[in-house]
Amino acid sequence: MKNYAIEREKWSEFLKRIAQKENIYAPFMREKNIEYLHVNADNADSIEYHIAKPTSSVKIFFFPIKENVVKNALEKRQIIIGVPACDLASLNLMDKIFLDEDFLDPYYQKRREETILIGNDCYEITDSCHCTAYDIAPYPTKNYDINLASHEEKIYLSVNSEKGEKFFDSIKNGDFQEIDSLPDAIDMKRMKTAEKVKKQNKQLPELDSTRKLVLEDHEKVWKKFAKTCVSCGACSAICPTCHCFLLLDKENFEKIKNWDTCQYPSFEKVAAGEDPLRRLYDRLKNRYLCKFVHKPDMFGEIACTGCGRCIDACIGEINKNELIIELSNC
Amino acid sequence: MKNIYEPLKFKLDKVVEESPLIKTFFLTPDEDFTFKTGQFVEVTIDGTGEAPYTPSSSAWVKDKMEITIMKAGYVTEKMHKMKGGEILGIRGPFGRGYPIDKFYDNEILILGGGVGIAPLRCLILTMLEEEEKFKKIDICFGAKTPPDFIYKDWYKELGDHKRVNLLRSVDKADDSWDETEGLVTVLLDKVKTDFSKVMAVVCGPPIMMKFGTFRLLELGVKEENIYLSMEKNMSCGLGKCGHCAMGNYFVCKDGPVFTYAEIKDYPNIWI
Ligand code: SF4
Ligand code: SF4
Ligand code: FES
Repeated sequence: MKNYAIEREKWSEFLKRIAQKENIYAPFMREKNIEYLHVNADNADSIEYHIAKPTSSVKIFFFPIKENVVKNALEKRQIIIGVPACDLASLNLMDKIFLDEDFLDPYYQKRREETILIGNDCYEITDSCHCTAYDIAPYPTKNYDINLASHEEKIYLSVNSEKGEKFFDSIKNGDFQEIDSLPDAIDMKRMKTAEKVKKQNKQLPELDSTRKLVLEDHEKVWKKFAKTCVSCGACSAICPTCHCFLLLDKENFEKIKNWDTCQYPSFEKVAAGEDPLRRLYDRLKNRYLCKFVHKPDMFGEIACTGCGRCIDACIGEINKNELIIELSNC
Repeated sequence: MKNIYEPLKFKLDKVVEESPLIKTFFLTPDEDFTFKTGQFVEVTIDGTGEAPYTPSSSAWVKDKMEITIMKAGYVTEKMHKMKGGEILGIRGPFGRGYPIDKFYDNEILILGGGVGIAPLRCLILTMLEEEEKFKKIDICFGAKTPPDFIYKDWYKELGDHKRVNLLRSVDKADDSWDETEGLVTVLLDKVKTDFSKVMAVVCGPPIMMKFGTFRLLELGVKEENIYLSMEKNMSCGLGKCGHCAMGNYFVCKDGPVFTYAEIKDYPNIWI
């Protein structure tokens, strides 16, 4: 892995320059939310680095809310800056689903190939962050092309993939200085963030025990937590590993691949009328079974990255971690 | 490369009414189309919707395909209004069908009811192409009333096959009926086969599949020798959209045919 250092100011200038011809997205503060927005010469100085997850997960760049999967042209290169480690971890599962060699999804594939992922370390966290509980470090360790760390007046880039290297070699200038390794201060910052996440999740069971807990009955707990669920599906929309969709039909045999979720009533209802998920608390539980049992069993991958978005997004204030802790106290 | 979301075009040659709610659609594909018996396809009505069906014609035929469809909602209603000449979209074939190789040299017992006879017709026609490879094929078919039986002209010819033993029942007989009256499971008592070795295939409404399976188990059929085709609310057929999830399976990709042994531990398999 090659590491580079650059002065913050120079980095900013550099970004403004490449933003003129490249299609770049990065997190920005908008109202109270952090959103990925298109980077241009005017906003490049206000990119939010090292904050905890943007409101939308990185999946929006590969699996948009709504997409014509018959007619749409396949898109060209995009560069995403500021992807947190939890979202990078989600790609293992998403890739296995959409890049399954039996049925390769050409749209997802093209986007994955044409995207440069620039991850970044989390130095700030939010109350809902719990990546470390599921063995994910709060700084990128996989699935990134380039990582961005920073300390004092410098930005540090670590080039991790061949794709990242090719890209970086094609755009870098003399302001980037190759260095042997990242400064120790960065390690310190990473450890500090990890400690913070661990500290706020002391009570949270680990993956193995969570799996066991959701497999048990505990109907009372599920019913209690489902009470305030309004089946809005927000938890799935913002989840980096919720992949469900519905194909909708348009004239000329076109298909729209539209996000869908098991949290909506009738998701599994068959033509004859039977619906295994007709009860609200079965739907709520289904999402947890999917994340902690079925997806790990089927794909050997983590399906909850501990990003905590579903906790932040729930208008019924259902807190996933409180639910799991309550199960563990049964 | 082929786009997994884009349907192939099939021409609708003609439509045959099987019963008041059920019609068979005769299709010709743009190019030869191959599938294995028990696999399903997604049928698109242009601009309206898509739904999964198992073809009812033989898997040996590549230039024609028949699909039998019950009216059960918006999309199928529109299909039932078609007369012939229309273009339909087909994606697939999808899923794991019947393991015909495992059926060779065995006694086969087929239990079907209602529109569940459609996919079984595909299986039976496919097996009869090499009839001598199966020791014996016992077939038990049921319908609510005599007019509810689909493929009315088929049974005479089917019963004439050397290795086929066909039994039929209706829940409610009328004057024209001289075969069995009662639920299709009563036919099982008339079957002479070695239940401990037989390969059983069940397809029909969920309640029939449930009681059919239980009766077969009572008769000594092994859990791993009972093949069920599961109905799920499939959308993509590709193991991606999640609609057909059943425990650790995507029914569209891992099924739709499962042995009872594979799925018996999941809750809600019969609904
Ligand atoms: S869950 Fe972890 S990796 Fe994700 S934003 Fe929070 S601290 Fe960063
Ligand atoms: S289930 Fe919740 S915490 Fe887990 S990955 Fe999805 S949104 Fe994040
Ligand atoms: S029908 Fe989409 S995953 Fe099975």
